[in-house]
Amino acid sequence: MKINKKIINKIEGEATLKIEGDKKIDFVQIEFWQYHGIEEYLKNKNYMDALVINPRVCGICGHSHLHATVKVIEKVFKAKISKKAQIFREVTSLLEIVENHIKWFYITIYPTQIKDKEYLFKAVKFSSKISKAIAILAGQFPHNSYMVPGGVTCDPTYMEIMRLKDLIKEIKEEYIKEIMDENLTSHDLERFFENLPKDIGKSLNKFLVLGESNIFKSNGDYKNVKEERNKSLSKNALYNNEYYEVGPLARMIINKNKNIKKIYDIYSDSIYTRMCARIYEPLLLLDYIEQKLSEVDLCEPSFLKPNVRNGKAIVAVEAPRGSLIHEISIKNEKIDYYNIVVPTQFNLASSTKENPSPAQAALMNEDIAYVDSVFRCFDICAVCMSH
Amino acid sequence: MRIFTMLSKLNVIWIDAVTCYGCTHSFLNYKEISSLFEKVNFEYHPLFLSNDLEIKQCDLLIVEGALKNNYPRLGYSLNELISKLFFKAKKVLALGTCAVYGGMFGEGLMYNKEQKGHYYKCRDKIINLPGCPPHPDWIAFVLDMISENKKIALDDLNRPKDIFAYTSHMGCTRNEYFEWKIDAENFGTKEGCLFYFQGCQGPFTHSSCNKVLWNEVSSKPRAGTPCFGCTEPNFPKNDLFKTDTFMGIPANIPLGVSKRAYLTLSGIAKSLNNERLSCKLINYKCGDNNEDK
Repeated sequence: MKINKKIINKIEGEATLKIEGDKKIDFVQIEFWQYHGIEEYLKNKNYMDALVINPRVCGICGHSHLHATVKVIEKVFKAKISKKAQIFREVTSLLEIVENHIKWFYITIYPTQIKDKEYLFKAVKFSSKISKAIAILAGQFPHNSYMVPGGVTCDPTYMEIMRLKDLIKEIKEEYIKEIMDENLTSHDLERFFENLPKDIGKSLNKFLVLGESNIFKSNGDYKNVKEERNKSLSKNALYNNEYYEVGPLARMIINKNKNIKKIYDIYSDSIYTRMCARIYEPLLLLDYIEQKLSEVDLCEPSFLKPNVRNGKAIVAVEAPRGSLIHEISIKNEKIDYYNIVVPTQFNLASSTKENPSPAQAALMNEDIAYVDSVFRCFDICAVCMSH
Repeated sequence: MRIFTMLSKLNVIWIDAVTCYGCTHSFLNYKEISSLFEKVNFEYHPLFLSNDLEIKQCDLLIVEGALKNNYPRLGYSLNELISKLFFKAKKVLALGTCAVYGGMFGEGLMYNKEQKGHYYKCRDKIINLPGCPPHPDWIAFVLDMISENKKIALDDLNRPKDIFAYTSHMGCTRNEYFEWKIDAENFGTKEGCLFYFQGCQGPFTHSSCNKVLWNEVSSKPRAGTPCFGCTEPNFPKNDLFKTDTFMGIPANIPLGVSKRAYLTLSGIAKSLNNERLSCKLINYKCGDNNEDK
């Protein structure tokens, strides 16, 4: 059978698809050939250095890597943090998810159907405001290191919290008006599907949420995750030896979101449902962020000095693209071992035709003309994959 | 020499070398990006809507990320791709610390950390814009200047002086604490300088982070995080949250002064014991609420 090799780029890196089939996709191998070696780089460094190195795994979701890093170190230290620090961390991490979803929609997947630079400008309008909101607490975005074991480095004033609240309100109002409203009405999403069937890209219909989070319920234990090599330089991630989809659609299904369930009942786990879930999620998150900011008590300490201990730990957080796992071993203040499992390793694993990964399953039996849109509907992070 | 013809946009090829894409995402925080697009045509960009890559001439080649052998990119080996494009470009912008000095991932264009790098001999056509990531305004400034055919004043490391003539210390809200040698012993406070205990490299890092604020509002030291010196060749150093010392004295002192003079000045400042800065700036009271009054 003829194999059509296609390099997919503009996905924070690139992937090679080896497509079997002429008009319809019979099967597809997904290959990543870049490798950065962050885990090796961390070895023998002071555990605190991981707070600076790990955000550099990824320029778009580095804050999630910071969040996972600080949580895994705190688990080793059995550290406690104040409610204030907890809220700040949650707010900035969720804002990163909102920003990622907007960029994915307008910059990563939108151009596969609609070639119009105005949508890039729309994404920038939102991303610059969201980054600003993160920076009020974290100092900058991307690449801050304001979460430290024991809390956060910042100590904002009432005035800064007021500015942050106002900014979140503005972002939410604009989101509802310009991207998607509470009834899931989205002019831009419908425009995307003008010439594309909504029911393509059906996948495994198996969902996984592993992140320990106040807003998302989890349905699994990250200790059951196993990595295995595939034919390229990336690793597949499996849960109890099976492939599952992670990300916003998984979060909406596991958390029984009624609005997304209505769409899911019609289109199942198709490209449309997947995109709806991702575009709808920011509305839930912005509501939650507003509520959390109203609970901030500035009298609480930002930082409680932890006791440094040796030991091992593993944690999972919910990152924009799904569950992100960090694992560490610390000996004498130095990193002895570090391992990272990113969401793309679940969604874009490369397996066999008989036991495909979510992205492989979504592509199989579809028209070859839809490859780009279906592949990107999982929100690939090739640079995370290449960590 | 004009590097592009009038009435045309600056034609740019932007290549993603070994990178985390932080430079691109930093640029995507530049609010006036649509105005810039009126002057700049991104012939190829690793994320934006653009044409497929062709090896051809351009006004400006932007390299984001480090060089590395055996690293595939767009069907070429990365170093071969950069080499083909480098000699066809009229000017080259090494964007971000990885492209300038190698950073965490490999070698830079002009430098390999502090040593001369592969393209050092071609330095006349390179502009270095380090930073992990570079500030969006810095990127916009360089693109705007080149598109207007204006000469950018560069320092000894080919970095724009408009950005790197400053230190990250300038404009830091903790400067008064630095002057009076009052240190922050812990994180999470408005008060105290981060230089002695938390590893802040602001006084000897070339950058305008505290002058041109990040995302319009803040900077790492303003948020209580030390400056990690991410615009300098040795980034990231080891023990980023610790101040390098020699016999208990900071190994690196503010740029432009002798160590002896600095230590004398520090001793005097510390002995003056500034009372105003030795206590909390604001003591919020728990349960602060106007309704209670």
